[in-house]
Amino acid sequence: MKTQTKPSLRVLLALAALGAAGVSQADPATSDADAREQKLERRVEELAQELQAVQTELQALKTQNQATAATRAAPPPPAQQQQPVQTAEVAASPAPTAVPAAPAAPASSPLDNLSLWGYGEVYYTHPTQEPKRTEFDLARAVFGIGYKFDERTLFNSEYEIEHAVSSANDVGEFEVEQFYIDRLLSDQVGVRAGLILMPFGLLNEFHEPTNFYGVQRNFVETLIIPSTWREGGAALHGETEFGLAWNAGITSDQDLSKWNFAPEFPQYVTALDLEDNDVAPLQATHQELALAKGQHLAQYLALNYNGVPGLKVGASIFNGKLATVPAPPNAPVPDDQHLTLWEAHARWMPGNFDISALYAHGAITNLAAINAENPGSPNPIPSSFLGYYGQVAYTAWNRGGYRFAPFVRWEHYNMGASYEGVSGPVVPTGLVPVSAAPGDYGYWPQRFDRVWTFGANYYLGPHLVLKVDYQSFQVNTDFSRYDLGLGLNF
Amino acid sequence: MAKRQTVFAALALLCTGIISGGLGGCGGDSEARVAEPGSSPAAGSESPAAKLGFQLFGDTSLSVSGRQACVTCHVPSNAYAATDGLSVPLGGPDMSLPGLRNAPSLRYASLTPPFTIVAGSATGGFFRDGRASSLAAQAEQPFVTAFEMANQNAAEVISRLQNSPKSLAQFIAVYGADVLNDPEAALQDMAQAIAAYETEDPSFHPFSSKFDFWLAGETQLTSVEQRGLALFNDPSRGNCTACHPSQRQGYSEHPLFTDFTYDNIGVPRNWKIAANLPHPVSPVNGAALTYIPIAANIPADSEYTYYDLGLCGPLEPAATDPHPRPVFSDTTSLCGQFKVPTLRNIALTAPYFHNGVFGTLEEVLEWYVTRDINNNVGNNPNPVPAGPGGNPYVAAGSFYLAADGTADRFEYNDLPVEFDANVNVGEVPYTPPTFAGGQAPTLTADDITAIITFLCTLTDGFDPDHPDAYALPEQCQAAVAASSQSSMAD
Repeated sequence: MKTQTKPSLRVLLALAALGAAGVSQADPATSDADAREQKLERRVEELAQELQAVQTELQALKTQNQATAATRAAPPPPAQQQQPVQTAEVAASPAPTAVPAAPAAPASSPLDNLSLWGYGEVYYTHPTQEPKRTEFDLARAVFGIGYKFDERTLFNSEYEIEHAVSSANDVGEFEVEQFYIDRLLSDQVGVRAGLILMPFGLLNEFHEPTNFYGVQRNFVETLIIPSTWREGGAALHGETEFGLAWNAGITSDQDLSKWNFAPEFPQYVTALDLEDNDVAPLQATHQELALAKGQHLAQYLALNYNGVPGLKVGASIFNGKLATVPAPPNAPVPDDQHLTLWEAHARWMPGNFDISALYAHGAITNLAAINAENPGSPNPIPSSFLGYYGQVAYTAWNRGGYRFAPFVRWEHYNMGASYEGVSGPVVPTGLVPVSAAPGDYGYWPQRFDRVWTFGANYYLGPHLVLKVDYQSFQVNTDFSRYDLGLGLNF
Repeated sequence: MAKRQTVFAALALLCTGIISGGLGGCGGDSEARVAEPGSSPAAGSESPAAKLGFQLFGDTSLSVSGRQACVTCHVPSNAYAATDGLSVPLGGPDMSLPGLRNAPSLRYASLTPPFTIVAGSATGGFFRDGRASSLAAQAEQPFVTAFEMANQNAAEVISRLQNSPKSLAQFIAVYGADVLNDPEAALQDMAQAIAAYETEDPSFHPFSSKFDFWLAGETQLTSVEQRGLALFNDPSRGNCTACHPSQRQGYSEHPLFTDFTYDNIGVPRNWKIAANLPHPVSPVNGAALTYIPIAANIPADSEYTYYDLGLCGPLEPAATDPHPRPVFSDTTSLCGQFKVPTLRNIALTAPYFHNGVFGTLEEVLEWYVTRDINNNVGNNPNPVPAGPGGNPYVAAGSFYLAADGTADRFEYNDLPVEFDANVNVGEVPYTPPTFAGGQAPTLTADDITAIITFLCTLTDGFDPDHPDAYALPEQCQAAVAASSQSSMAD
């Protein structure tokens, strides 16, 4: 970043000088050549002074940046430590869920307590067998605003624009992903309330593109754990002296009445659709605190052991009674539906390796009657769904702030591992219309797959990453694809 | 409930007697129709306007012929659909004039949303082309339509009202006598009363089908009925639910089996409709018909002179409609679109489609799945040969017939060829005609039988305590018999 600043400033100044010269040459009112020369000299002198001022300012900024980086690189207080970070670069960047970094200089203005941050990612995805479905997407542009009220109390929020344009006629969405207050009750215990990220898995709380391998997030932590998963509620969190971080809360839950039993066309015909179209059980029913039905609340508990440097082992569980499908008039009150989601994860970073694994399993009870009302549905509600992955990354090259890390991941997801009331979804066979567009024929995908991902992250410093990968789908082979990605995080 | 059914049964008997008397339509005797005011469906908690509506609904003296009222074509015992079996009803001053479209069931009509059109996609509104803005605006029109009750104008209707003592007394009791001096306002009041009756009276929305009791958990569907529903829902087989949702939608707490959208499905021309003949004459007395509207947007070189193009004409909103929908005569992309009807009580409402071209559900379903692969059609580029794995329905011959009964030169022969592109070819169960060699229909003969048995469960009047008393029409009994034979053969 710093090395890029100077050339860009120079270009700017050169352009300014040229512009000034252009304006002078075009001035017909000045006929005296000497006067013109003097005027030009004055301007060059002014510009030289401005350049010097900018250089001085730049130097000051450099110094300040170094001080800030040093501050941020210091270990955070135990109660705020979230997880071992993936890279040295990431370690230097503030996680959005962490307390915003303290200002480098003594506070002289209320604005010094304000933190502004953001991240974003652009994808190019090319299905190798269905090249007509190649897409280019500003998947997300995110900005966050935090405010530190005092040493123990902060506000944090995150706003996301998905797919670049959000309007009635466009596919994009504008959404609030986090919006909470966090207060430390003691050095080791804090309380958080608002719209909070669920502390599940390795990715949900740390979903910035610099924090994960691969152009897109893994499928298990998209389809089984619906990252970015957030709920309204309140939580207590803390960490013991021997490194056990704990987090327990009461939150909003899912709403089964949002379920679409009758999609006429497949809800996804590419891997990118699969990630984006809210098709998985929890993606399709999460309420995101948008006038969420609140008659039932859920509870969760998450534990992570961070006591050994470079190692993180954890598990979490969520359980709640769901807002349900409305029953027909006069029908007997149906049994309640409960959701239980649990997962276990581990991450180990010996030397240049970064090895992680995760298993997640969800179950919803008492769906027989609801599904039986919809025989022939291509999309009944599953009673269970699960996924797991293993991933190995290796930092092959790390120099001057640049880092190159290839990785490989194997994962399995199944969005419909079992059903009640039906034998499973009807998966239409043969070439059928897959969208309302005339002549758009294709095949309905299966709701499970096994996926190999081979790729690499190339970091250009702590804030920028270029990514490339190839994903090979073993079941829905049409989904196999090349991806290119650009991610940033600050 | 039992009382109401008794009344309906009595009315049905009355209607049957009238049919056998040679009127060719049900009704014709308003005094008999409303002979027992105390036991009318309108008795009870309904508003005075609804009670007046009940009276007007059956008052044949308001027609020029003295033999026609709403009830003539919308028979209570037949789900407020016609019982005459005609493609289009007869009416006019001497009941010799054929109409232009099949008389639909009025049951559940009050749940229709207002007409809207967004991005070229229309929804709601009354009549098959949505040209009336409300139930009342719709109810007004038959009084002043030449081939129905045939009054010249509102003044003639009101003069007949003034000569119908019982209707007049009730009208004055509800709206006062003064309004009679303004015939147009008085006719609007009459229509409002009829709309109130159609809205308030439970017989217009009983939700008493076997399907409703099954949803409420009070009865079971047979395995064949279940299979029919599954095929109905399956997006690769029947896909009926795409336009006739079996799921609850926003319009009612019950599934309505229509999404109220419009579609052009290219139904065949019906030569039983006098207007379709080269020289339209009355089927009763052979007199030339002078009221056949010819749409201005029909291309000059079209095969035939008269076409019914639904949304884009030739019928247009009435000048008296307080909130007329736009006229779409220039929007040729809408030409041929008609509103999706409910499938509730569909087994009772033959003949089918806006032009009544098909007499049975079996014909309808066979046509749906073979429309674009029938090799008897001259313009089908990819005919499917008959035989195993091919088109099992070829033996039935083409559905697209010319006036002489031979295969017509063109498919979609009830549309000018210029509008063929408007026909929906992008959804199941229309088999994509673009595939080389085509493909087999999405439903077998057994599948069709199963779907018909399911459709029969949408007939109102089921009593879970006396399931054997469920009076199903003949085509349902035939389907049930066929399916049981088929399952025995298995």
